[in-house]
Formats: sequence, structure tokens, C-alpha cells
Amino acid sequence: MSADHLISVKDLKKYYNGGAIKALDGVSIDIDKGEVVVIIGPSGSGKSTLLRSLNLLEIPTSGTITFEGTDITSKGNDINKFRQKMGMVFQHFNLFPHLTILNNMTLAPRKLKHESHEESEKFARELLNKVALGDRADAYPSQLSGGQKQRIAIVRALAMRPDVLLFDEPTSALDPEMVGEVLDVMKDLAREGMTMVVVTHEMGFAREVGDRIIFMDEGRIVVEGTPAEIFGQTDNERLKTFLAKVL
Amino acid sequence: MYLYQLSIEDWWKDLKDTFVLNFIADDRYMLLVKGLGNTFLVTLGATFLGIILGVLVALVRSTYDKNISDMRPGFGKGFLIVLNKIASAYLTVIRGTPMLVQLMIAYFVIFVSIAQHKTIVAIIAFGINSGAYVAEIIRSGIMSIDPGQFEAGRSLGFNYAQTMLYIIIPQALKNVLPALANEFIVLIKETSVSCYIGLHDLTKGGEIIRSRTYTAFMPLLAVAIIYLVIVMFFTKLVGILERRLRNSER
Ligand SMILES: Nc1ncnc2c1ncn2[C@@H]1O[C@H](COP(=O)(O)OP(=O)(O)OP(=O)(O)O)[C@@H](O)[C@H]1O
Ligand SMILES: [Mg+2]
Repeated sequence: MSADHLISVKDLKKYYNGGAIKALDGVSIDIDKGEVVVIIGPSGSGKSTLLRSLNLLEIPTSGTITFEGTDITSKGNDINKFRQKMGMVFQHFNLFPHLTILNNMTLAPRKLKHESHEESEKFARELLNKVALGDRADAYPSQLSGGQKQRIAIVRALAMRPDVLLFDEPTSALDPEMVGEVLDVMKDLAREGMTMVVVTHEMGFAREVGDRIIFMDEGRIVVEGTPAEIFGQTDNERLKTFLAKVL
Repeated sequence: MYLYQLSIEDWWKDLKDTFVLNFIADDRYMLLVKGLGNTFLVTLGATFLGIILGVLVALVRSTYDKNISDMRPGFGKGFLIVLNKIASAYLTVIRGTPMLVQLMIAYFVIFVSIAQHKTIVAIIAFGINSGAYVAEIIRSGIMSIDPGQFEAGRSLGFNYAQTMLYIIIPQALKNVLPALANEFIVLIKETSVSCYIGLHDLTKGGEIIRSRTYTAFMPLLAVAIIYLVIVMFFTKLVGILERRLRNSER
């Protein structure tokens, strides 16, 4: 029953250059509420394309994506409504440099959910305290370190009270000493039951936090399983080659 | 020795007399003051109109460039194509013809019915002209914003227009603020051609004095100096603005 899944992807394809590039070549995947799904795979395997298709930042060539029981790929559905419930965290943070941290977080709740200033600010401050940045509310993004920026990007997404968070290599642009603080925030979220889809090269995180790991190659899901299944004995050659490189 | 002193005294007295004749007598300096006021009025009005037009045209052009290839055929796409055609035509015509010709067409052809309001006609003509240049400045500003900003906006649930309004345009405007200020400075000088439609701007002020006193040197020199001082002042201001903006990036 697809209606039971939070997200249900069916035979998703994304072609570029009239089919010359098959970024996604028939991907199907179900994601349940509270699950942490980690997507791994070599460069160019379609991880970002899959993740970005989930909130239609990429428009799929064919296939369907069902979110909370609605096919969001069908014409006539207001994708902006669905995106409000699907937070996204980017590799390069993409904080709004012209706004303070607080306004980065409250802009969308105020404009899109018509929360009052007090309401949105109260929640934003709670979130900031949670990621130990309560004292930076009035700073501008340029005044923060990379790790701090990414923690803000996460709570900015959370300020919309989303049902799922999508992460595209959230720690890849960070200096090594800042990776930990961001992963810790993500671990806390997982523990609280947040549904998360995470593209990452952090195999430690995948193993520790992932409920399910998806290994992609050449636009397809090659292997799918629990961390134990993926990192244990595998007979898949492509996965073996990949893990040998990253571990 | 005696002769020399006499001639310098004469020269000095002559200078003083011309000065009095051109600026003091009949309060002629007021002609310059009034003209300066109109120059500012037209420049400010045209800048304002130019920025509004410029933002609109820039939005049409950059929306077209960004989206047209992914749009499904339909009313929206057709509408955008038409808007873009209009915007391109506007840019081509305005940037391809002399300002003075545009002003005369505005005054003698298009706005004949309100021809007695010369300031308004001038504001409209210079605003429409300036809008074409401002549009390209703002378009370059929009294009310079990291596409990640746009994606971040859309991923939060903002639609295209909201993302532009709350996220892209404020940053783009900030980036091109010095260029816009320079456009204002250019406009101060450019509005001097409005004396062709008889508008009493600064240049015309000098012109009126010249025609009354039959001396050209002093009134025209005064006009030139006033333009120069204003332009230098605003150029300095833009320099300070640029430095401020650069510092705030840190
Ligand atoms: N806009 C585009 N135009 C053409 N090809 C594209 C475009 N976007 C992605 N691709 C191609 O689609 C394929 C999948 O790209 P994708 O970014 O999803 O890979 P990825 O797994 O995220 O890789 P990485 O680990 O390097 O981020 C690649 O071959 C890429 O070159
Ligand atoms: Mg990627």
C-alpha cells in the first residue's frame, strides 16, 4: 500500500540531452515516516538528481513521486505546498546573506504559513538553542563558520516544521574539524524520529544512523539494505569496488 | 608700471561688473537656482521611474532566460514570450536612438496633450530612457546571484515570484547599488538636453541669463562649475557607498 509510505517513488527517470545522459534510469523507492535513508554511490551516479527530484527541484522525465498520498508529479498540484513540508539542506548551505540568522529562519514561516513575528521568532530561538547557536540570532551568515552555517541551514529548514528533511552532502563543503558538529545535529534529529533522506560520503554516519542504505550507480539503485547488509559481506562487485575506495 | 596697474584694475572692475550683471542684477542667480531645482526634480523622478521600469524589464528578461527551455507549451509560455519580445524591443529602440530625439518625440508627438507640464514630460522621457540602462544593470545583478539562493528559496516553498521578491531582488539591488548610483550621476548631466523642450533646468537657467545679458562666458562657466561640483560630490558619495558595501560583505 503506497499510501502508507511517506514518500513513494515509482520508476523515476531523468534524462538529459534527449536521453544521451540517463541521470536516473528507473528508480523506485519507498520511504517511511521516521526512517533515515542514506544514499551512497560514486560521483555521477544520480544521488543528487534523485534527492532533488523528491521535492521537484529537478523535474523527472517520467515516473511518479507520491508524497503523503498525493502524486506530486501530476499536473495541477501546487508543488509549493508540498515543498513546505519537505525541508532541504544543501552542500553549500545557501543561507540568505542579506538577512540575519533569525530572519533567515522566520522568513518562510511568516510569509508562507502566516505565523506572527512573535510566534515564528519564539520557535526559531528554540531551534537555535537546540543547535547551540542561540547567541547568534542577530548575526549575518557571513559572520559564521561553515559548521555554524550548516547548523543554521538545518534549523532554517526545521522552522517550517517539515515532515521530511532532504540532505545533499551536508558536510562535503566543511573543514574536517567542523563535520562532527553538523553530523551530531543530524544524529539528534534522527533520534527524535525525524524522517531524513541523506546523500553523503560519511560512511560512519551511514552505518551508525542509517536505517536503510541505498547504493546507486549509473542512475539505478544497485543494492538496498540495512547498514549491516551493506557494510557486511556483499557479493555485489560494484558495491565492493565503491566501498574499497571510500572506506 | 602705472599703465600695468591701471589695466589690471580695469580688468578686475570689468570682471566684477560682468559678475554683477549676470548674477546679482535682477536677482539673476535665481534663474540658476530654479534651474538646479528642476534638474534635480527631473533626475530624481527619472531615476525612480527608471528603477521601476528597469526591475520589471530585468525580471521579464531573466525569467525568460532561466525558464523558457523547461516550460511546457501553454498560455504561460506564450505570455512570457510576448513579454520578452516587448522588453527586447524596448531595450533595442531606447538604446539605439539618441536621448534628444526621444525627448523631442515625447514632447512634440506623444505627450502633446500635457505639453505645458514640461517637467512631467521630461521625467517620463528620461525615466523611460534610463529604465533601459537600469534594466541591464539589474539583470546582471540578478544573474550574479548564486543559483543556490534560488533553490533554497524554492525548497522552502516560496513560488517563483516570492523567491525573486524576498531573496533574489534584494541581493541583486544591493550588488548593483553603486552602478545604479552612477546611472543617477549620468542622468544629472544628461537631463541638460531638456532645455531643448524649453524646460527651465540648470542649463536653461544659464541660457536665459546669456540671452538677457549678452555675455556667454560667465553664465555658461557657472553652469559648468555647478554640474561639476554636483557630479564630484555624488561620485565621492558612491565611493563611500561602495566601500561600505564591500566591508559589510565580510
Ligand atoms: N543539468 C544537467 N545537465 C546535464 N547532465 C546533468 C545535469 N545534472 C546532472 N547531470 C548528469 O547526471 C548524472 C547524475 O548527476 P548527479 O549530480 O545526480 O550525480 P551525483 O551522484 O550526485 O554525483 P556527485 O557525487 O558528484 O554529486 C551525471 O552524469 C551528471 O553529469
Ligand atoms: Mg551530488
